[in-house]
Amino acid sequence: MTGSLRWRVLLVISLAATVPTVVVGALAVLRARDGVRHEVDRGALAHIDALGAALDNTLQDAWRTVELAASSWADAPGDVRQTQLLLRRLRRSVPMVHALSIVDPDGALRIGDPVPAQLDVGNHSFGGYIGDAAYEAGRPVVYLVVQARGRTGELMGAFVASLDLGFVRTVISGAALGPGARVIVVDGAGELVASTDPPRPGAPPRGLAGVDPAVDRALASGAGGTLTANGWVSAYRNLSSYESRRGARWAILHQQPARDAYVVARETTRDTLFIGGAALALALAFGGFFATRLTRPLAALARHADAIASGSTSDPPPVRGPGEIGVLGQRIDEMARRIAERAALQSALARGDRLASVGVMSAQVAHEINNPLTTVLGYAMLLQEGKPPGHPDLEALALIESEAERMKSIIGGLLDYARAQRKTERTPGAAAAPPASCDPAAVLRHVSALLEPQLRRTRARLEVLVTATAPLAIEAHALQQVLVNLAQNAAQAMAGAHIAGGVLAIFARPAPGGIATLITVTDEGPGVPPADRAHVFDPFFTTKDAGVGTGLGLAVCKHLVATAGGTIEVGDGPHGRGAEFRVVIPNVA
Amino acid sequence: MLRASPVVAVLAVLAVLASAAAATTAGCSRPAPRPRPIRFLHTFGPAETELFNAAMAERGIAVDASLVPFARGHQMIAEQLAGRASCPDVVRVDATWLAGLAGAGLLGEVPPVLAQLDWVPEAAALAQLAGRWWGLPQALDGLVVIRDVADPAPASPSVDDLVAAARARRSEARRYPLGVRVDGYWFVPWLRDAGGELAAPAGIAGPGGVRAIARLAALFGDVAPPLPAPGSEDRDELARWRDHEVAYWITGPWQFGGLPDRDRVAVTALAHAPRGGQLLVVPRCARNPEDGWRLARELTSPQVLARYAERFATIPTRRAALRDAPALSRAAYAALGDATMLPREPVTPLLFDDLNAALAAAAAGDASAEEAAAGVARGWQRLIDRARAGASQARP
Repeated sequence: MTGSLRWRVLLVISLAATVPTVVVGALAVLRARDGVRHEVDRGALAHIDALGAALDNTLQDAWRTVELAASSWADAPGDVRQTQLLLRRLRRSVPMVHALSIVDPDGALRIGDPVPAQLDVGNHSFGGYIGDAAYEAGRPVVYLVVQARGRTGELMGAFVASLDLGFVRTVISGAALGPGARVIVVDGAGELVASTDPPRPGAPPRGLAGVDPAVDRALASGAGGTLTANGWVSAYRNLSSYESRRGARWAILHQQPARDAYVVARETTRDTLFIGGAALALALAFGGFFATRLTRPLAALARHADAIASGSTSDPPPVRGPGEIGVLGQRIDEMARRIAERAALQSALARGDRLASVGVMSAQVAHEINNPLTTVLGYAMLLQEGKPPGHPDLEALALIESEAERMKSIIGGLLDYARAQRKTERTPGAAAAPPASCDPAAVLRHVSALLEPQLRRTRARLEVLVTATAPLAIEAHALQQVLVNLAQNAAQAMAGAHIAGGVLAIFARPAPGGIATLITVTDEGPGVPPADRAHVFDPFFTTKDAGVGTGLGLAVCKHLVATAGGTIEVGDGPHGRGAEFRVVIPNVA
Repeated sequence: MLRASPVVAVLAVLAVLASAAAATTAGCSRPAPRPRPIRFLHTFGPAETELFNAAMAERGIAVDASLVPFARGHQMIAEQLAGRASCPDVVRVDATWLAGLAGAGLLGEVPPVLAQLDWVPEAAALAQLAGRWWGLPQALDGLVVIRDVADPAPASPSVDDLVAAARARRSEARRYPLGVRVDGYWFVPWLRDAGGELAAPAGIAGPGGVRAIARLAALFGDVAPPLPAPGSEDRDELARWRDHEVAYWITGPWQFGGLPDRDRVAVTALAHAPRGGQLLVVPRCARNPEDGWRLARELTSPQVLARYAERFATIPTRRAALRDAPALSRAAYAALGDATMLPREPVTPLLFDDLNAALAAAAAGDASAEEAAAGVARGWQRLIDRARAGASQARP
């Protein structure tokens, strides 16, 4: 049962530790993963946005410079010297110009480098355009076609400039990239224009359309986005413009192996799992420890309860435990103690009933025996009187007389005890007796007189001191019987211990509180052993030799004192010697 | 009751750990093999492209799409289709390019079943040349006047009443209440109002053409703002509209997508306005024309048209989509009721370069209207001559 409880507690603790740990851990992992992905995407997009803006600005700067030159030329297209000067200045201003030409409105070359056949000179291009990337001698170039219009807007020709796209690589090479990352620029057909990867001399331009899903996505997109495919994380931005003059049709991509891009997420996941696992193991270990510690007192309580239920009389050690368990243990201990007390009380009651029955029966027997015994005693004494000294029967008759006397003494005790019992039993319907009262000083004086011969015989010294003056709520003869009995026992104890000149002290003084009187009877005898103190007031309990005591004296004393509402107890005498009986009798109210 | 044992405890912990592991590794799946993509050449803007990609992804249609700058689309597409290299399966073209492409024999005719769909009449007209269908109309557009609902409509759709209305709304806060662009397309209403038309060199150089150039050029710095920097027109116009600086704005549905508060927009017709649109055509060189028409039909389905209309307030070309289109789209469609298409000649899209530059020169004060018109006339004549020469060379 306790094993089951321990596993249940362990299960609850395990679930309580596991579920939050796993849930929080999973959330942390997912959030870290999403957060890192978001940041990687955002950072990559911002990166290529900046690079794309740099590329676009470079192209637009070149465009504006060529446009200004074209406008200037269109106002005086016939001045050859000025035209040549303008073209030289333009080459210096735009270093990336690879070839530069001026064509007439029909596309025929007027001056400058040869232009490609079938070149679109910009009809329906709203002033010109930046063309697609192309490869010339293995180098990527792009054509700028700028219409040259005069003051009135009339078309006078067009400036055609091929720009070396090597600047694209220069721009993107300056990017600070993460591990394994690269930036590539592709044209509208997916041809690679530039890459941060090391160039491969002599390698043909690579077409990435249909090969790299990110390139396909970039070219199909109207803006930008991210894509994870084939183990690469790609952020793309389509730089193609609805306007022909804003820039070439191309896209820029930032690509990084997923294992490098999400290394932070992976490390966070690993750390979270490690820390979570360690925390979980720790929690489970502590859980097991605390489950055991928690259930151990409960197991002890169960054993304790089992012992109580089985009626074991052994006194188990108290159950200690934290909090409510400790309180529960204390309550169970208290409950066990009360059950034991109740059992003892019931036992005492049962024994008392038995003793009462024995007492009644003994009183009847004693009463019936007393008369024949008186006859036996009388005849024994009478027969002795008629015999001369030395008569052989005298010894036997003396023995009969002494044993008869002893039997009368026993019977007298029994009758005293029985009378004391009967006095406490009220007769139904009888009038209430007047309250008892006596003067303690008078009673003690009478007791001193009664005891004097016996004390002289035992050579004990009697000291009597009375400071209490209040009348006591007890019959005088009852108090006298109590004190005589106690004094005789004390004297016999000192005599039995061969203590000559021992002091027998009887003191009567007001008890604390002033509502009762304390009478102590002390001696210098061997005292009452602690083990016997609980039984000395039981009827027929005696430590005297067989035939010496009846075992009824102290029982009668206790009964008389209790009847008067007082108490009697025994303890060690003064200075740890002898015995002291403490009798407390209520004063008359 | 739970029968507690070490096995149960271990199993429970393992189950929780397994669930967490499954949760943390969720989302890792192998991509499905890609179907053969449909090659698509388009002139969508960035936002339109994203919507297109999303719509195709939802429908599971694999598309290999490539953007062509609008200003170079005509030339590039013609070259690509003529060269037959990397021929796309379907192409989105401007309606003004249709005559040139179809005339050069570069396009395939529309399957009859597709021509019989519930096209709105203006869209159906856009897709036809001499009664033959060459493409599926994807969007209608043209020039209209939009204004704040708080401003009164011009007295009539004429350009004079429009300018007068704008002049009446001029104030310190609204110094330039008219939104108009120095562009040949915006010049068409003024040219037509003066009795001219595109592709007529004599007309542009005559009194009507000169007067039209002068009238349009005179607006800039008067009721319209001075010339913006080239390439920033869209951004500047939207900013002025957003700031309530413009009361009447001559524009088209291509700008509606950027309007921040469509509820305050009222649409008015502009007399002699051009009407055009976008078409989806399938080249004759297409390797998979069936796929091309399938994508074209998907893009012109009422569902996709409705999405474009909802997002960009474009004018749907199908009756079903137009019926449920946003109010702005339907208002623009109504305002274009009297608009007419540009001349359906191959040279038409080529005329704007000269016109734009001449108008800018006139508006900037660099040239008189006569000088600008004369330059345009010479340029147009050269283009027309070249086109005729090309056509004659192309004939066997």
